[in-house]
Amino acid sequence: MKKIEKGKISLTISIGLTAFILILVMVTQFKTIEETDITGIEVMREAELRSELATWKTKFEEATAKIEETENKIIEYSQEIESNNNISELLQRELDEAKAYAGYTNVTGEGIIVTLTDTEKKQIEDLDLINLINELKIAGAEAISINDERIISTTDISNVNYRFIMVNTSKDIGRVRVQSPYIVKAIGNPKYLESAINIKYGFLDSMKSNEKSASYVIDNNITINKFDGSLEYKIATNVEE
Amino acid sequence: MVYIAIILGCVMGAVVGMFAPIISYTYSNYLAIAIIAALDSVFGGVTSVIKKNFDLKIFLSGFFGNAILSILLTMLGEKLNVDIYLAAIIVFVGRMFTNLAIIRRYYVEKWCAKIENRKKTNEEENK
Repeated sequence: MKKIEKGKISLTISIGLTAFILILVMVTQFKTIEETDITGIEVMREAELRSELATWKTKFEEATAKIEETENKIIEYSQEIESNNNISELLQRELDEAKAYAGYTNVTGEGIIVTLTDTEKKQIEDLDLINLINELKIAGAEAISINDERIISTTDISNVNYRFIMVNTSKDIGRVRVQSPYIVKAIGNPKYLESAINIKYGFLDSMKSNEKSASYVIDNNITINKFDGSLEYKIATNVEE
Repeated sequence: MVYIAIILGCVMGAVVGMFAPIISYTYSNYLAIAIIAALDSVFGGVTSVIKKNFDLKIFLSGFFGNAILSILLTMLGEKLNVDIYLAAIIVFVGRMFTNLAIIRRYYVEKWCAKIENRKKTNEEENK
């Protein structure tokens, strides 16, 4: 009787222990499976890892190709920018030249300075100045000023009541009165300029014969100021070529 | 008594398992195969109880032995790059189904016999 009971107790204990162990392991396993992120790379099986690696490889190759393409594009664009820079530089240079030709810049260079002075007997007339400037222009003067008033393409020289000589016309400055002594500066080849006014029966001769005072000096470093006003065409319009 | 022990063991195992630390996912493979082996042993035990040739030593040795052996086989398979655990699962689960069929047959027959017995007794009473 006692022996049977002993066997039964040991049976009960071992069966209970077995159930305990089995359920413990099962619950642990359930929890592990439930709480593990199966998509995480650390817990992936080898086959999954392999396919994942292949996917990433393709993606990487695609990305690399894209990078290369983009880099090529960048190079293209930078080249384009460079050429654009060249164009804008050229335009800027042209603009500067045009400004210089229009008299909107201070210029310096060798040339001649002619001084005409009123005397008690005779006064300098507007026509004298017109003649002088004409002669200088013929001789290749590149920039001319009278008493620091720049002569530009629209400049006129006229007298008012045979008393004042006025030069220049511009929208905002209007006419400027110039007075004796008239200092005419011209930048150009000094030899040509000198000979142009010095020629026989030329400008100086005619001045002398009219008993007007005129003299000139050659200067290697003449500075002529820019035209300060602004020009505006009201009637003329550009014709497109 | 034995049933109480089983229920008590299950409840305690569940409670302790709830608070047990999580094991690494790498080892959960082995654990799963061990669980399958253990379950197979349990069903085998139940079948042997039905067949009345239950032996505690065989049950316990099968329970732990099969579990450990299946784990070792799985490890070996991993080393050999052969999925041995698949074979283990097929064998264990196949056996589980066989045992379950035996258990089912036993209880269904028992139940049917009971009903027939009751019918018979009823008829006898009616007579």
